[in-house]
Amino acid sequence: MNIVACVKQVPDTEALIKVKADGSGIEEGGIKWVMSPYDEFGVEEALKTKEKFGGEVTIVSIGPARTMETVRTALAMGAEKGIHIDDPALYNADAYATASALAAAIKGIPHDIIFCGMRAIDDDSGQVGSILAELLGLPSVTVITKLDIEGSTAKAIKPIEGAQLLIETSLPCVITAQKGLNEPRYASLPGIMKAKKKPVEVKKAADLGLTVEQKSTVAKMSPPPARPPGKIIQGDDPAAKAAEVIRLLREEAKVI
Amino acid sequence: MAHGAQHVYTVGHEGREVFWNAPYELILFAFTAVALAIFAYGLFRRWQLWKALGKPEDRMDNTGERVKSLIVNGLFQVKTFRDVYPGVMHALIFFGFFVLIWGAAIDATQFHIGLPFFHGPFYLWFSLIMEIFGLAVLLGIVIAMYRRYIEKPDRLGYRGTPDNRADDAIVLVGIGAIIVTGFIIEALRLHVNVNVDGFTWGAWSFVGYGLSKTLTGVGYDTARILHKWMWWIHTFIALGLIAYIPWSRLLHIITSAANQYMISLKPKGYLEPIADFENAESFGVGQLEDFTWKQIFDSDACTRCGRCQDGCPAYLTGKPLSPKKVIQDLKTYWLERAPVVLAAKKAAAEGEDPVIPEPEKMMVGEVIDLHELWACTNCMYCMEHCPVCIEHIPKIIGMRQYKVLMEADFAPELQLTYRNMENNSNPWGIGAHLRQDWAAGVGVKTLAEDSDVEYLFYVGCSGSFDDRGKKVAIALAKILKEAGVRFGVLGAEEGCCGDSAMRGGNEYLYQIMAQTNIEVMNGYGVKKIITMCPHGYNAIKKDYPHFGGNFEVYHHTEILADLIAQGKIRLKQSVQGTFTYHDSCFLGRYNDIYDQPRNALKAVPGLNLVEMSSNHAKSFCCGAGGARMWMEEDIGERINDVRADQAIAANASTIAVGCPFCLTMMADGIKDRGKEETMEALDIAEIIWDAMGLEEATASAEEAPKEAAAE
Ligand code: SF4
Ligand code: SF4
Repeated sequence: MNIVACVKQVPDTEALIKVKADGSGIEEGGIKWVMSPYDEFGVEEALKTKEKFGGEVTIVSIGPARTMETVRTALAMGAEKGIHIDDPALYNADAYATASALAAAIKGIPHDIIFCGMRAIDDDSGQVGSILAELLGLPSVTVITKLDIEGSTAKAIKPIEGAQLLIETSLPCVITAQKGLNEPRYASLPGIMKAKKKPVEVKKAADLGLTVEQKSTVAKMSPPPARPPGKIIQGDDPAAKAAEVIRLLREEAKVI
Repeated sequence: MAHGAQHVYTVGHEGREVFWNAPYELILFAFTAVALAIFAYGLFRRWQLWKALGKPEDRMDNTGERVKSLIVNGLFQVKTFRDVYPGVMHALIFFGFFVLIWGAAIDATQFHIGLPFFHGPFYLWFSLIMEIFGLAVLLGIVIAMYRRYIEKPDRLGYRGTPDNRADDAIVLVGIGAIIVTGFIIEALRLHVNVNVDGFTWGAWSFVGYGLSKTLTGVGYDTARILHKWMWWIHTFIALGLIAYIPWSRLLHIITSAANQYMISLKPKGYLEPIADFENAESFGVGQLEDFTWKQIFDSDACTRCGRCQDGCPAYLTGKPLSPKKVIQDLKTYWLERAPVVLAAKKAAAEGEDPVIPEPEKMMVGEVIDLHELWACTNCMYCMEHCPVCIEHIPKIIGMRQYKVLMEADFAPELQLTYRNMENNSNPWGIGAHLRQDWAAGVGVKTLAEDSDVEYLFYVGCSGSFDDRGKKVAIALAKILKEAGVRFGVLGAEEGCCGDSAMRGGNEYLYQIMAQTNIEVMNGYGVKKIITMCPHGYNAIKKDYPHFGGNFEVYHHTEILADLIAQGKIRLKQSVQGTFTYHDSCFLGRYNDIYDQPRNALKAVPGLNLVEMSSNHAKSFCCGAGGARMWMEEDIGERINDVRADQAIAANASTIAVGCPFCLTMMADGIKDRGKEETMEALDIAEIIWDAMGLEEATASAEEAPKEAAAE
């Protein structure tokens, strides 16, 4: 089976995020970059699928040179090869441009199933998987927590409020992964060593025959408003303190 | 021949009648030859098995140190004596036999070549000494039998089931029989001789002499015949046991001594680093072959004495791990595998295809269960107290390395810990940029701000990120400032020391952590380091030199004891309540730092220091070492709770520690036992800072959670 997993490199969840003074993006200095956690679920599912049905896993990612490290991480986990699209026109591109670049790369290789994270934890757009499926003319099943493949049918479980859906679709298709789908593996050391030698093609948009077109742009980035300080209600009488809490919740916070 | 001749029993002719009444020397020599041949063959066979498997390792360098270990631990039985009861038991047998064997050898020699001094008063004293040591052996054997078969201490078994084997009984009965028959022979001889005129020295052989008194009524001819039979029985058992040595637990006479000679001369707790990640094909120990031959040999030196098991925190709290069992299971496995490998090698030498059959059982996972493997806290109790110097921890870590590095198959919570260390250089995964936050308001400078300092204060992850640990770091920094110590920190440039990664088998991650830190430290020209965590202390002191990090490393309790002794800090605020000091394994057993923390505590006015039932080298681990800090403890009792019980039993109101891991564990233990109203766990730095009386007492442990909740 020819399996593709798309990954995005994002700042570590604990990293200190500072918005640039001009609001054009974040300060990148000192940031530890990691694979977006939902993409890890995608990679793990891709590897599991390969282990079950045989075949190869190809990793596709977009980003500057540092992105190579994330591609290698996925290769260390067990994927066979990678495509790294490194084109300044695509750095921080919107979901449409990103998906079209991925689609252009994936069109050129055999693909029976494509995995994406349900969203990247940096821009939280959650659109790339679906647009990618659209551009490739494939069905997509999003935000899934379980996947079974039988023949050319994929059966996926998608939790929704108060229930879960069992969705069937035919291969090839695009799957976007939600937490709970699996436990991503820890790369073995031979895996890490071998990953250094696995083939990764580095491409520009033009190599893929792509003219980058964005449908939307981030006009300005600004830090979230500072959290107002907490309030400690003083006093000796618990009943009076409780009454004060209720008053504040009602009048100031307006939550009850 | 001489032995048939009449003897004259007069003073000046005293002599041991070795072959009196037993004139069958040729037969004796024949049997001796057979016994020695069986012994030699057995030993040769064993030698081949020792050599069959394992990687090379040099344990023959530095003869002087090795001979010293052999004399101290072998001849003088120093480690064996650490446990008095079994120590004395073994000493009775060991020293008794040691003397008897030399005595018998001298005796036999004298009989054949005639030693000129072997008569007269010398001989009488010789007789007396032999008598006493014979009795000692007998006493030792009786105690051993009582202990093994009646008393049945848990250490001679596994979880209440004794692991007695036929071999144990054969050896005990055999040795006992040698002594008993020896005394009977003596009694029979004395019974006859005593009536010969001029025989006056019977009392020098008081046991035999006393025994001979019971023989009244036995005719001299009967006595002579009985003597002859007894003598042969005695000789047969003795020769039999010699032949039996290589096939039985008696082999430990050789293997244990050899192991004591081949003792590790590296610093305590040393772990050989993996040298070449790029080109090695496999990492860690997955097969028996991946051990060094010495690591395999270890298992053949094990006497199943159970001392290691007796203080193993994992075993004592109901985890499946027993260090004795690990060593014995490896031995059994080796004895299965080695002959197969040997046969295959032999076949290969004869030109056949060198196929070594695959093992039927996996070593890591089947022979050594994974729960056993991961239960070890690396506390080093086992290694410290093994009388024959077996090294358990490197084996355990080797197998963990295999699971982590080769198979990436290990506890998910530990995977998370490692990812956190990779991404944020601390096990909690708190943003690396927050590392210096603890120092806000203390006025500590980083080396980047001022590198003209005497010491680097390496804070470590607990001191930087853990709410409780931060308080210790603050207290220590304040003390150092107050005492005028010139020091700085690395701030956000500091990284995790990597100890948990190393001890949890992730040597690759560990080396990355170590190298990163060393680069930064060397970049600032750091020479001396103070750590507040024994794990960092041990890693930086003993393991960083492998990677070019050569520093003088001090634990903060050493520094504190020193500052107090020099009068640089004055303790004026007296304390109340009873304190007990919990030895951190990585300070105590790993680095022999037992006194400094206690001295620092004793300097506090009014401080009443008591010891828990396990202390110093026999201290009971808190449960957090060996990466266990980051793993679920879901089998058996919690180790920290059991340790807290010891503190409760000692009536302590404060458990003083010198390790942030211990601090967490002891605080949790106190809570689990519902004693948080009356007890607390404090680091020595906090106690000292309070005693300096320069500010309101630092917030005690119980406030930490409240603060955390308020954030
Ligand atoms: S190091 Fe400690 S926990 Fe590990 S086996 Fe030895 S005694 Fe048990
Ligand atoms: S490993 Fe050492 S302490 Fe443990 S049973 Fe064997 S000989 Fe005794």
